[in-house]
Amino acid sequence: MDIEEVTERAGPREFSPADDLPEEYRKAATRMIEFHANSEIMGAYLERPFIRQAPSIDRKLAFSAKVQDEIGHGQLLYRAAETLGVKTREEMLDDLANGDGKFLNCFHYPMTEYVETPMVAFFVDGAAMRRQATLRRTSWEPYAHAMDKVCFEEGFHVKHGEDILRTLMNGSRKEQQLTQEAFEEWWPRIIQFFGPTDDKSTHHDFAASVGLKQKSNDELRQAFLDQYVPKARKYGLEIPDYPRIHKNDEGRWVVEEDDLDWEEFFTIAKNEYEPGLGQINGRKHAQEAVQWVRDTIEADNVPAGGQPPQAAD
Amino acid sequence: MSAGEVLDPDDLDERERTALEHLCKRLGDDEFVLAERYTEWQVRSPSLESDLALSNIAQDELGHARLWYDVLDDVGLDEEELVYERDPDTFRHSTLVEQPFPEGDWADAILRSYLYDVAEKLRLEALEESTHPKIADRVGKIQGEEEYHLEHAQNWLERLADGEEGTARLQDALDRLFPHALTLFEPTDPDVEDDIVELGLRTATLQDMGEEWLSIVLPFLESLDLTVPEGGLAEADGYAVTGEMLPAVRGRDGSHGEAWDELFEDLTNTYRELERDRPTKIMEKPE
Repeated sequence: MDIEEVTERAGPREFSPADDLPEEYRKAATRMIEFHANSEIMGAYLERPFIRQAPSIDRKLAFSAKVQDEIGHGQLLYRAAETLGVKTREEMLDDLANGDGKFLNCFHYPMTEYVETPMVAFFVDGAAMRRQATLRRTSWEPYAHAMDKVCFEEGFHVKHGEDILRTLMNGSRKEQQLTQEAFEEWWPRIIQFFGPTDDKSTHHDFAASVGLKQKSNDELRQAFLDQYVPKARKYGLEIPDYPRIHKNDEGRWVVEEDDLDWEEFFTIAKNEYEPGLGQINGRKHAQEAVQWVRDTIEADNVPAGGQPPQAAD
Repeated sequence: MSAGEVLDPDDLDERERTALEHLCKRLGDDEFVLAERYTEWQVRSPSLESDLALSNIAQDELGHARLWYDVLDDVGLDEEELVYERDPDTFRHSTLVEQPFPEGDWADAILRSYLYDVAEKLRLEALEESTHPKIADRVGKIQGEEEYHLEHAQNWLERLADGEEGTARLQDALDRLFPHALTLFEPTDPDVEDDIVELGLRTATLQDMGEEWLSIVLPFLESLDLTVPEGGLAEADGYAVTGEMLPAVRGRDGSHGEAWDELFEDLTNTYRELERDRPTKIMEKPE
């Protein structure tokens, strides 16, 4: 199949491993799914400390389950990416450890306080939900299929985040104040979640033309703001003065793009943002510490000339 | 009490209540603290698959802690008293579960799980006929999950022991963990322990369970070419735990290592920072 035919046929769940797809499509799809899978892993990395820090056994269970779900999503997505035949899961995980793998901007920022957790679990996950819902109609069928399960579980994660936010904002004045401060810190990053506006986006055109991407950054950001500005206010959060946002004539929220720090965003996108490197390297360190187990299992399991079976679980 | 008799949980005298409290705390605290250590493996396990498996096990243990703590809820102890506002020196878990471990030491996770899960299997059997109805009722649910934990640990032990590095790491973990595992069979208080058995809350003594545990664990570890620390364990007529092998702190009596203080500080940090006065409940009380 050439690009022309791919573009012509492009539609929801149109292509599967049975199709002979051009390299350009397979590479673009791999980049997109790998980014998504990496983001699941790095999101889990960011939230893990809060399994311990959670202020009740029930919350602890919910955090543990959420982190586990994200690892499970990573597993599913790497598998969906592998089916494109461009990279193996090991290569993708190695790249992530080496600092070559790319992932969501929000997961490059360190998270140290419990009051920050709903910024990720409610707002970032809520933003992710918007994008993921559209990806159930992506043209790479294994990706769309993985999205069915991911979206189902993400729904619980957003509820978990929303419930934490509600508890905090109904708590003491101190809790409310700390939560507001966390919101002010995270809000610009959350808006940048959807990336630069379409005219500045690098990969959009091709991904959209072959049906990998279903909605543009602008459309998704718009839908998110329309839904989440009122939600933030409902829980008593005040929208920060910067970046400036206002309602346009159609009653939709518009962000003053120049108020956002796009230099920081693109530094992050290159994996060069200093605080984020701490997380990338922290995970790499953790992975290296268990390399001996993988070596032991592989030496043990590889039959002559065969593929190693899945690690035991 | 004689066999077949049942305690009335709504009408406990002082002695019964104290025995129940000691028993459920040793059970609940073990599960709770072990789960804390397991969750450290989340996002850090050797593979995505082993990550998912250990997360499952951690959540099972947390769920079991909820079940045991809930029995005490009936006698007026709630979560803040049992965990978040409790004096850390009154926790009754075995020192096995609080031990920190070197980064990446998967052999520790697996061996700890094995030593613990065999003990847990035995103690659950000894609770099947408990005179406390709620305890007896909950054993079955827990046993269903624990069976998988033990299988998971044994499979991994066999795989790790197959290689040189794995065996060396297992031996190292065994040398470190074994004395602490023996505290699983230590009493919280010798008199209260006698009451636990006399009242039929548990039907086996710690000594019996300890000896049975040794009779299972020792041959299995030896079959993997591991050397159990300290000779003289195996006696002519079976196995016995001797006092000399126990670590300086025994957990059950409230004495713990420094690692426990740090862990407790860490897990109660948010609760204290936010000046909470009760832990958030989001789940229904267990059946």
